[in-house]
Amino acid sequence: MIRDITLGQYYPGKSPIHRLDARTKIIATLLFIVELFVVNNFWGFVIAAAAMFAVIGVSRVPLSFIFRGLTAVFLIIIFTFLINLFMVDGRVLWHWGILTITYEGLRRAFFMAVRLVLLIIGSSILTLCTKPIELTDGLEKLLKPLSKIGVPSHEIALMMTIALRFIPTLMEETDKIIKAQQARGADFESGNIVQRAKSLIPILIPLFISSFRIAQDLALAMEARCYHGGDGRTRMNEIHFKKGDVVAGIILVLFLAAIIASRYI
Amino acid sequence: MSFISVRNLIVDFKRVDEDGKEVLATRAIDGVSLDIEKGSFVAVVGMNGSGKSTLAKCLNGLIVPTSGEVVVDGMNTTDESKIWDVRKRIAMVFQNPDNQIVSSIVEDDVAFGPENLGVDPDEIRKRVDEALQRVDMYDCKDKGAHMLSGGQKQRIAIAGAVAMRPECIVFDEPTAMLDPRGRQQVLEIIRDLNANGITAVLITHYMEEAMQADRIIVMKDGKIFSDSTPNELFSNVELIESAGLEMPTRLALKNAKPGRSISVENVKTGTVLEKNVPVRNGLKVQNLRYVYNSGMPGETVAIDDMSFDIAEGSICGVIGHTGSGKSTMLQHLNGLLKPNEGEVYVGETCITDGKTKLVDIRRKVGLVFQYPEYQLFEETVAKDVAFGPKNLGITGDELDETVKKSIEIVGLNYDKIKDASPFELSGGMKRRVAIAGVIAMKPKILILDEPTAGLDPRAHREVLKMVRNIHEEMGITIIFVSHNMRDIAEMSDKVLVINKGKLMMEGTPREVFARKDELESVGLTVPEVRTIMAELKDKYPQINENILTLDEAVKELEKHNIKL
Repeated sequence: MIRDITLGQYYPGKSPIHRLDARTKIIATLLFIVELFVVNNFWGFVIAAAAMFAVIGVSRVPLSFIFRGLTAVFLIIIFTFLINLFMVDGRVLWHWGILTITYEGLRRAFFMAVRLVLLIIGSSILTLCTKPIELTDGLEKLLKPLSKIGVPSHEIALMMTIALRFIPTLMEETDKIIKAQQARGADFESGNIVQRAKSLIPILIPLFISSFRIAQDLALAMEARCYHGGDGRTRMNEIHFKKGDVVAGIILVLFLAAIIASRYI
Repeated sequence: MSFISVRNLIVDFKRVDEDGKEVLATRAIDGVSLDIEKGSFVAVVGMNGSGKSTLAKCLNGLIVPTSGEVVVDGMNTTDESKIWDVRKRIAMVFQNPDNQIVSSIVEDDVAFGPENLGVDPDEIRKRVDEALQRVDMYDCKDKGAHMLSGGQKQRIAIAGAVAMRPECIVFDEPTAMLDPRGRQQVLEIIRDLNANGITAVLITHYMEEAMQADRIIVMKDGKIFSDSTPNELFSNVELIESAGLEMPTRLALKNAKPGRSISVENVKTGTVLEKNVPVRNGLKVQNLRYVYNSGMPGETVAIDDMSFDIAEGSICGVIGHTGSGKSTMLQHLNGLLKPNEGEVYVGETCITDGKTKLVDIRRKVGLVFQYPEYQLFEETVAKDVAFGPKNLGITGDELDETVKKSIEIVGLNYDKIKDASPFELSGGMKRRVAIAGVIAMKPKILILDEPTAGLDPRAHREVLKMVRNIHEEMGITIIFVSHNMRDIAEMSDKVLVINKGKLMMEGTPREVFARKDELESVGLTVPEVRTIMAELKDKYPQINENILTLDEAVKELEKHNIKL
């Protein structure tokens, strides 16, 4: 069911990873993603994967829970794999009609798929081990220096909070509307591309109207609860750098060094 | 001076006309004056569109009066420098549980209000924990808001208000979207808060809830129609009728004079049907089983070995909690979901064997979802109603004829309404249009999921009348879900009780509601009049307690010469 998508979900816990400052986790995740594109050989991926599984181990989030998030994007991974497999020129390994698999293609496809899997799991660890509110608070604080040049850091963070909150609600709403129109005989699966695009109208219009209604209700509810911008707001859980964050920083630097070294193996 | 004082309040809603000028659209509040004392419990009732919600939003300055004034604890709501002080004193809980929760995690959402007020972190922590304990949701503090039931979400919303330490909480139809269990819990919390000194203003359509207040204000056409104690209000039958309200069952029974019919029950002061119709072309469900995420880590059995049948041309009521599996079950009846095991037969046709085309299933079984007005999308009513039949391949004159007839069956005037935009209609009318859109597909079986949800008492009665009308005019089988046990008792030939994915009971309303204790043990209810008769039985053992309508109750009491 739609509400079982784990991407962007939080897994409550008290592990050392959970307790890290959200800023540390955001920076670490960003660096991890950049690293994935620096890696260019087998050993680099081994190091990255090992580091990632070590973090998962420490976080005590069940593996099954993490992999459930992957099933939602499984098709994208397969698609990327196939595109790379057949589209790269080089030493031919296999040939049939217009389809050709090359050594380079196989290698690139494999790396790309592994990269995607690591990227998705890596970033889902961030959201699984960080409360949404800490995540957005962390983001707000990281962006704070930019507010001097006019970046609305508080507003961006609030938008993220609301987006994370309402993704499941809107998914359920979409599910309901699709089913309701199906019950009225709507057909979303057959016809050419124009007909299919047209068949989306009975879903999109009610969904838009729903979103506006939610926005209106929510704005009123926030006003009633005295929301008046970021000035003068306090936080129940202020985020602070602690000893754990220093340790995490050191580990992160070592990891970076290992990844860069792997390019020369 | 009283805590809240409203003087000559007028609120106009303006809209921009074609020339770009502002014109008066509606006068939502038309000269209201009232005082609310600290610590009181005030209920506000009235039809949809009578101005209740607008009045509520004026109390904490969410709506600024067009003229007149609202003064809270000496502060005028039009004074912008004081507006946050006003809202700190008067918190608000809204109707839709989903749309008022800001943060994904329960405790973070409860903290939202105090954070906005700039309260110290340690103090916020304390208030959040206290507020969550108050609404009995402390164990869920780390949960994701989207994992909670409607009733739980509403309790979180109340905790969010309580954490701001307000002196008054305005509840704007907080129970309208909840099932009976959720409704009862929310009401208990409101009473408990009031007992602890918080002034409560409760807007509601349920007279049983309003009766618990010290004072009931009746709104009609933007004016205060009546303002009295519950006892005074409910002794005035004419006033209740003209305000579009209904009499609480308990009082209706008390006030009923022997020999005089009870006038408040307009739908049908009915005999409960007890005929046994043979199953011919009805619906047959056999050993239905459905599992979400089959074979995956989070697999849950939503429907477990369910078998029942529904006779052709009968009306079948379905009851059960939100999340009991009843909606999932209904979606199997027109092929939206495919069972893991078991079969569904419509007449002779098995619709689950994979051979029947989906279009043919939908021609046979129409499904109207909860709040169907949210699926409207066309420019005009006629076009929207035509969407279903067009999908089935009906065209030309036949299509026009079908659309016209369907709109008339749901009780609307075709010529007046056909070219109107569905979005400009009132809530009750939108719902009728949406239902017309399904019956235009001429189903043999019509399924309605909570067709009366969120309506005021008068619109509620009208929708029930419409359902009867569809049943009689089209001669079709009707299956309807309701949380209102009186509707179930009065409308159904047969009742299905669903609990935790299983069929817990089936039978005539009289058979089902005879098992009052069993129903109550799983948190379901019986018609109010049945409860009252059970209570009376303790005092008068000679009476029959299995009574389902007011008329029956009056007769039974007369028979034994009992006066209340």
